[in-house]
Amino acid sequence: MSVIDEVVRHFGRLPGVGPKTATRLVHHLMKSPPEEGRRLARSILALVERIRPCSTCGNFSESERCAICSDPERDRSVICVVETAVDVRSIDGSGQFRGLYHVLGGRLSPLDGVGPEDLRVDELVQRIRGSEGEVREVILATNPSVEGEATAVYLEELVRSIGPRVTRLARGIPVGSDLEYVDHSTLAEALSGRREM
Amino acid sequence: MRLSRLGVVGFRNLRDATMAVPLEGVAILGANAQGKTNLLEAIHYLEIFRSFRGVPDRQLVRFGEEGFRVSADLAPETPTGGEEEGTHDHGEAAKDSVAVVFRRDGGSKRVTLGGQPVERLADAIGSVGSVLFTPDDVRLVSDGPAERRRYLDILLSLNVSGYLDALQRFRHGLSQRNSALREGRPEREVRIWDEAIIGPGAQVMWTRAVWIRDRAQAFRSYYREISGGESARIHYAPGISGTAEWADRSAAAEDFRRSLRRTADRERSTGATVVGPQRDELRFFAESPHRSRDVRAYGSGGERRTAALALRLLEADTVRVGRGTEPILLLDDVFGELDEGRAGRVLELLERSVPGQVLITAPRESDLRLRREVLPRWFLRDGEVTV
Ligand SMILES: [Zn+2]
Repeated sequence: MSVIDEVVRHFGRLPGVGPKTATRLVHHLMKSPPEEGRRLARSILALVERIRPCSTCGNFSESERCAICSDPERDRSVICVVETAVDVRSIDGSGQFRGLYHVLGGRLSPLDGVGPEDLRVDELVQRIRGSEGEVREVILATNPSVEGEATAVYLEELVRSIGPRVTRLARGIPVGSDLEYVDHSTLAEALSGRREM
Repeated sequence: MRLSRLGVVGFRNLRDATMAVPLEGVAILGANAQGKTNLLEAIHYLEIFRSFRGVPDRQLVRFGEEGFRVSADLAPETPTGGEEEGTHDHGEAAKDSVAVVFRRDGGSKRVTLGGQPVERLADAIGSVGSVLFTPDDVRLVSDGPAERRRYLDILLSLNVSGYLDALQRFRHGLSQRNSALREGRPEREVRIWDEAIIGPGAQVMWTRAVWIRDRAQAFRSYYREISGGESARIHYAPGISGTAEWADRSAAAEDFRRSLRRTADRERSTGATVVGPQRDELRFFAESPHRSRDVRAYGSGGERRTAALALRLLEADTVRVGRGTEPILLLDDVFGELDEGRAGRVLELLERSVPGQVLITAPRESDLRLRREVLPRWFLRDGEVTV
């Protein structure tokens, strides 16, 4: 396989990129100064080699602990639980939330064979227990899908039994939508209007 | 709605043709296997976008063809319901149209409404408003309960807004919950799916219950008329404990929740959710002064056919109310199976209660015990219609 074909194939595997777009991207790179391609290659390399899950919250991180967990300005009494690290970006982008996060790494789905043991549920429990009462509220920000709701119901019982109050994002986020695609102002509203479960 | 023009290309044994359909309806005569049922199947395909005989789309394509196309122009009811002045000019009468193109290669199905492609098939389903009667309808009564639930689901999805959505959400939640049970997950990992099935499940049961409750009287009178004075009732038995005498949807939800709690042990050993609308049953009881018999189990052939016909008539009522238009009746050789008395009374009933367009097939003129002598005749031979 030629180099061109190979790059087209790699681009074409990215979400939202079809073979046509992949070909256009490759043509663009070939017409650009070589430095542009090198910069792209270097940043992709840095991404895959340096980014790893934060050992505390599971967020994308360039070091052992992510920027949010290491920020002394953050409110350590509130943890916002999300399905994926992409959701951290969405919620933090809304500017409404100044607490910490916990990334589950998915949602409960027996159909896909995903149980609590496959998610970072134990880590959440350890974290709350380890804080010795500092964590006073857990916001469940799983997606408003059937699976996201069931996951929230599961965590609610679990978290409440070890201390903190549990809240859920206010309604207003369209049912079945991914937080990833919800705009910032809607997310900010849902956060400020969160309710006790 | 009335069908003013029908076009078929590549569909089963039917000759490619465009036909002007008389607005009052037509009687289609032809020997067996000439294509009468195929013609009605093509028309009803525009209502449900699949074969009413449950045949895969590929098998509807005529041998050697790439695919098929079925199209129709639709004319609205005239408000007076009387003589349709000038509407026989089919080109002008067609206010609306629906068409479907299926390609064997890739199995793609493209639907247009008024010439515009529809994004989701669901947006086009039910736009013709046809109600089909076939000799197989007796199976609605004699087959297992799943057949009747499927029937209700199609009917209510087409006519009650929100039903299909609730049904899909219920099924989704149920498959998650059953999967958790099947895998023997701990109880609290099962219970977290309860609300996912209770809300939409209660909506499904409530909608079914209301539909049957509101039509119980009509069923009784249709049955009496067709049978010539016999009595029978339709009954909805929800798949949870208790009867469907709920005051509202939340009462249904409460009963559902209570039943779930009670069956926790049983579902654990079964490995599946044992209560809910997936266990609903629709039953028919023939009544005499001293006793009541389940028609499915103990009814005669005539009683079963009568119950099935009454059910189809309720369907026609539902189309009329739900879509605000007179249904198009498609009668596929339904009188061959009935005794003379019943057949005559069904026709009387249809003429009186369903004044819309009617397309009716029969093997011979003599089988067409039709009082609507005015209906034009089509003759179908080897897939070709001659007027
Ligand atoms: Zn972190």
